[in-house]
Amino acid sequence: MKYSALFIIILFIAALFVGCTQQAPVSEQPQEIKIGVIASLTGPASNVGKNMWQSAQVAADEINANGGVLFKGSKVPIRLIVGDDESTQQGGQKAATQLITSDKVDLLVGGYSSAVTSSYEQTVAEYKVPFVVTGASSPIITHRTDIDTSYIFHHCPTTDSYGMYTTTFIDQVIRSAVNKKIGAAADRPFRLGLIYQDTAFGKGVQTAVNDTITKNNLNIQLVSQQSFKMGESDFRTPLTSIKAAKPDAVYIAAFPNEGAPLISQARRDIGLNTIFLSVENNDNAQFYKDLGQYGEGSIIESRFSPYTAPAGALADSQSKFKNSYNARFGAFPDMMGASTYEGVYIAAKAVENAGTTDKATVRQALIDLNMPQVIEAMNGGTISFSKDFRESQFDLWMEQLAYNQTIGESRPTIVWPDNLKVTDFVLPDWYQPGSP
Amino acid sequence: MYDLGILLQIVFWGLYAGCIYILLATGLNLIFGVMKIVNFAHGEFLMIGAYVTATIFFLTGFNPYVIILLSMLALIGIGAVVERLCFRPILGTSKLNEIFLSIGLIYVFQNGAAMIWGDEWQSIKSPYAGITVPLGSLTIPLDYIIIMGVTAAILCGLYLFLKNTKTGREMRATSQNRKGAMLVGINVERMDILSFGIGCALAAAAGTLWVVSGQVFNPYMGSIPAIKAFAIIILGGLGSIPGAIIGGLLYGIAENGAAYFLGGVWKDAISFIILIIVLVIRPTGLFGESGE
Repeated sequence: MKYSALFIIILFIAALFVGCTQQAPVSEQPQEIKIGVIASLTGPASNVGKNMWQSAQVAADEINANGGVLFKGSKVPIRLIVGDDESTQQGGQKAATQLITSDKVDLLVGGYSSAVTSSYEQTVAEYKVPFVVTGASSPIITHRTDIDTSYIFHHCPTTDSYGMYTTTFIDQVIRSAVNKKIGAAADRPFRLGLIYQDTAFGKGVQTAVNDTITKNNLNIQLVSQQSFKMGESDFRTPLTSIKAAKPDAVYIAAFPNEGAPLISQARRDIGLNTIFLSVENNDNAQFYKDLGQYGEGSIIESRFSPYTAPAGALADSQSKFKNSYNARFGAFPDMMGASTYEGVYIAAKAVENAGTTDKATVRQALIDLNMPQVIEAMNGGTISFSKDFRESQFDLWMEQLAYNQTIGESRPTIVWPDNLKVTDFVLPDWYQPGSP
Repeated sequence: MYDLGILLQIVFWGLYAGCIYILLATGLNLIFGVMKIVNFAHGEFLMIGAYVTATIFFLTGFNPYVIILLSMLALIGIGAVVERLCFRPILGTSKLNEIFLSIGLIYVFQNGAAMIWGDEWQSIKSPYAGITVPLGSLTIPLDYIIIMGVTAAILCGLYLFLKNTKTGREMRATSQNRKGAMLVGINVERMDILSFGIGCALAAAAGTLWVVSGQVFNPYMGSIPAIKAFAIIILGGLGSIPGAIIGGLLYGIAENGAAYFLGGVWKDAISFIILIIVLVIRPTGLFGESGE
C-alpha cells in the first residue's frame, strides 16, 4: 500500500513534467518580440541618441499598427526596450548587459560611436544576440578579429565607404572648380586639409582618405592632418595649423556637436574661408541650427537629410517618416534616426523570415536577408548584408548648404552624383583657395 | 622654422583659454582659502552660469556681456544656498565627506540641468561675431579682446574688494587664520557663505565667456574644466590667487602649444605633465608656501 502511494506520487510528478514538456511548442509562439535599442540618451551624444530611439519608436508603432510581425501565420507585436549607453564605454557595457541578461531581448538595434559600440561587442558576442548596428560607422565593428562578430550586422555606411566617396567627390568636382576659379592647370595638386576626432571613427576616415588617394593615384595632396579628442569644443589651434598649410578644402571627421563649432570657429575666428566637407552624421537639425550663416557653401556627405530628399520613389517614404516623427516629437529625424528606423524593420523582417526567436536562426535570417529598401537608397534597391563582413550597401550623395536669411539657418541641396543632383556645386564668392 | 605669426596666434588662443581657467580656478581657490573645502562640483557652477546666461539671452536678446552680471548675481545666490545646505553641515568633519558630497552634487546638478534645459548641446551667437581687430601681424576677433578685458576687469574688481573693503579684509583674515579671525570677532560663517558665493559667481563668469566665445555647452561641460582648475590651483599654490592667475595662463598656453606641436590628443595631457614636474620640483606649487 505504501509503495502504491509512492508510485502514484511519482507518476503524478512525472505527468506534471510531461505536461510541461508538451507545452513547450506553445511557448514558441511568443507574446511579443523584444528588441533592445542601444542609444545615447544622455551625455554628449544625446542629441543623436534620442533621435535614434525616437525613430525606432516610430518604426515599432508602424509595425504594431499593422498587427505586428507575421509569425507562423499570426501577428506578434514588437516591444522596444531602450538601453542608454550614456555616451560612454562603461555606459554601453551596462546597457548591453542589462538588455541581454535582464530584459532578455531577442535582438539588438542601434549603437552610436564606434568607440562606445565596440566596447560592448564582447558581451553581444558572448551571448550570441543578433545585433543590427545602425550608428557606429567604423569598419572595425564587423571587421575586428579579436572577438566573434558573426552575430553583428552593420546597417550604416562605414568610414571606408563614405571616406572614399567624399574623396572621390573632391577629386571629380571640387578640384576642377578650384582650378577653374584660379585659372590653374588641370594637373595642379589639390591641397586638402583633414581634421578628425581621435577615435576609431575619425581615424577610420583618415585611413579611408589616405587609402583612396593612394589606391586611385589621385592628384590630391594632404597638406595638414590634425586630430582632436572626442567632445572637444575649442578647435582654434588645430584650425590655425590647417590655415597655415593653405588648403583648398578641409574634410572634417567629427560628430555634429563638434562639427558645427569647428566650422563656425574656422570661418569666424580663424578666417579660414574655404570649403568644409562634413561626414554624414552631421546631417542633423541641431547642426544646421548651430551652424547658422557659417554653413554657407559647405558640403555634407549624406544618405538621409532632415531638409532634403532625392527625387524619386523614396521621397514619399522619407516624407512619411519625417512627418510621423515630427507629429510625435515636434522635430525632424536625422540620418542615424533613419538607419535605426530601418534597423527595427530589418529586425522584424529577420524574425518573420526565421519564424522563430531562436537567435542562431534569426542570425541566419539576417545573413539571407533580401528586403526592399525602406527609406534610404540602397545599392540595387534592396537591403542585404555582404557575405564577408555583414555590411549593407548604401547609395550616398553630396549636399551643398546655402544660407537662408529668413530662417537664419543653412539648408542643403543635393549636388552629386549626377543621377540625384538638383543643382551644381558652386564655389562661393568669398572662397579663398590655397597656394596657387 | 616656425612662422612667428602662427606662434603668436597660438599664444593668443592660449591666453583666451587661460582667461576661462583663471576665473574658474580663482573662484575655487577663494573657496578653498576661506573654507578649506574640496569642491569637485565647482565645474557645475560654470555650467549653470552658462545656462543662466543663455536662457536670459534667448528670452531677452540682451547683450551676453551685460548678462554676465545677472548670471554672476544668480550664482552668488545659488552658491550661498549650496554652502548653507550642503557644505556647512559637514564643515570640519572629514575630507572624505567633502569629496563624496561634492561628487554627489556633480550628478545632482548635471541631471537637474538636463531636466530643466535638456541635455542636448546648445550655442549662442555673440553680437560681435565676425568683427575683427588688426593687432600687429594678427587679425583678432573682437570677442576675444572683450573676453580678456572682462576677465581683467573681474580680477581687478576682486583684488580691490579683497584689498580695500572691510569684508574683503575679513575674508583674507579668515583665509589666513580661521581661529584667529574668530577670536577677533569676525563672523567666519558669513565669510564662508560670501566666499562660496563669490567663487560660484566667478565660475558663472567663466561659463558666460565660454558660451559667448562660440563654444557649445551642455549639462556635462563642467567636469573637465573643474579637474583642470584643481590642477591649476595645485600648480599655482593652494589658496594663492596670483598662483591661480599664472597657473591658468600657463595651462592655456601649454595646452594650445601642445595641440599645435604634438597634436590635439596631447592637449589635456600636457597640463598634468606640467603639474607633475612642478610638484616634483616644488611640492607647494609655484606660489604656495609650506604649511598651506
